Amino acid sequence: MNSNLFLKEMRRNAVSLILWTLAITFLITLTMSVYRTFFDNQSKVLGMMSLVPKSALQFKGISSFEDLLSVLGFYAVNNIIYMMVLGSIFAIVLSSNILLKEEYHKTAEYLLARPLTRGEIYFSKLSVVFINIFILNLATAMAGFVCLEIVKTGPFSIRNFLILSLYTFLLNILFGAMGLFLSTLVKRPRPITTFSIGLVLIFYFIYTLSKITEGATGIGYISPFKYVNMDVVNSAYRLDFWHVFYFTGISVIMILISCRLYSRRDIYV
Amino acid sequence: MSVPVIQITDMSKYYGRARGIEHVDLEIGEGEIFGFIGPNGAGKSTTIRLLLNLIFPTSGCARIFGMDAIRETKKIKQFVGYIPSDATAYPSMEVAEFLKYCLRFYHVPHHEKRLTRLSELFELDLNRRIAELSMGNRKKVSIVQSLLHNPKLLIVDEPTTGLDPLMQAKFYELLRQENQNGMTVFFSSHILSEVQMLCRRVAIIKEGKIVRVEDIETLRKKQLKKVQIEFAEPVNKENFNIPGIESTISSLNHILVFMYSGDINELVNMLTTKEIINLMIEEPSLEEIFMHYYT
Repeated sequence: MNSNLFLKEMRRNAVSLILWTLAITFLITLTMSVYRTFFDNQSKVLGMMSLVPKSALQFKGISSFEDLLSVLGFYAVNNIIYMMVLGSIFAIVLSSNILLKEEYHKTAEYLLARPLTRGEIYFSKLSVVFINIFILNLATAMAGFVCLEIVKTGPFSIRNFLILSLYTFLLNILFGAMGLFLSTLVKRPRPITTFSIGLVLIFYFIYTLSKITEGATGIGYISPFKYVNMDVVNSAYRLDFWHVFYFTGISVIMILISCRLYSRRDIYV
Repeated sequence: MSVPVIQITDMSKYYGRARGIEHVDLEIGEGEIFGFIGPNGAGKSTTIRLLLNLIFPTSGCARIFGMDAIRETKKIKQFVGYIPSDATAYPSMEVAEFLKYCLRFYHVPHHEKRLTRLSELFELDLNRRIAELSMGNRKKVSIVQSLLHNPKLLIVDEPTTGLDPLMQAKFYELLRQENQNGMTVFFSSHILSEVQMLCRRVAIIKEGKIVRVEDIETLRKKQLKKVQIEFAEPVNKENFNIPGIESTISSLNHILVFMYSGDINELVNMLTTKEIINLMIEEPSLEEIFMHYYT
């Protein structure tokens, strides 16, 4: 890894990281601010929700109404879209462009004329992606934790909160690795932002489809979202070894393949 | 015998089915300013990108300072400066920030002094953003960044595009000075006058192949002459066919202009059988010699 390149990339992405962190933190805070009202009027809300079709609730990941009464259940159900989907979009947009932009911005000739190996360039940029994802996850999880502490009506499991946060982080890392992998497959350099965002949304759509359609449970397994256990109110909630293995394994494979492809890639400017 | 600074051996590069370069062999010695000329699409930039390991050869290999251009690219680039033809740099960076960023990749003593000297020479405003700079000023930034670490080999690709004549002169002078201090220069350009002015040897690349590697002076002193004949009567160039006519530059009704590499006596003898109004035999310019190899 080259520290000069790493620091330059960190500075270059700082504004984007701050904006994404603020946006997700704001959305989490906004959502959690209604928890108390929801809890205080639980009988009315639950009465209303009984009229909502079961599939619509499943679409949001709600398995039972009681889940929503727990502050952690409310947090998990309502914030998945922000922390998991938006976090994954941030990760894939950052990673899919971090190598390619040197080519389509025509700066690759300056970078590759420096005394660096392709591996050093790749791992410097990979580190930037990981650190950015880590900071985003840490900041938004801390914001979530503060919100939980403020609006809670009783104790909640910090252990379960940390496990959910770790799942979110692993999911974002997987999409980060996927972005790098995709960018090394592109033949002609051009931004692949739209495609990357589309991919996250398609995976999320497949996941939700598998939840609301009885016959489509199987296709959910092709979506990384399926491997995030959100059943935080369950007393047996734990970090599933095979799910962690899935996230880390797929990420490592995509990173190794993309590093190899980048090291042998013709760089066009 | 010293190791060549650049040694390209039977190197080819294809982009799918499209030709990049074919079977290029080239050797450049230490302390040379070596010209590399050819029109757009001839393979100049492809050759440079292969040397810098931006792209990989289909076959063949290149060595720089005796080291393999692919496996030992990191070691090589400690000693190489590069001015790309496209002077696009990181637009959001300030000039000083960009130059210092470039410098931090090397371990160069007294680098601040060199940065200041080069920036002053090219009258760079270090506090401006690169995005705000004109094409010419970006080129100056590109020149400065290539020389900051005191390279032993400078590879330049169309370096003076966008530079005003004053800055071009400063650049040429700087190249000469650096060359006297031991820097080898690989100078790729389509501007023949600057190649002629700076370089001692030149390679001409055509359709991906090296067609000539010559001393500039040898190239000039080739027996090639430019002959212009004005006839009293209209002449058909097909009827005017003697050994040594290399290529016809133009053929009007009464006037014939061509490159001639044969015996001048034979030409004159042949002309005695025709009625001519005017005859001019002159040294062709480098540009004309160059065009001759392309037609």
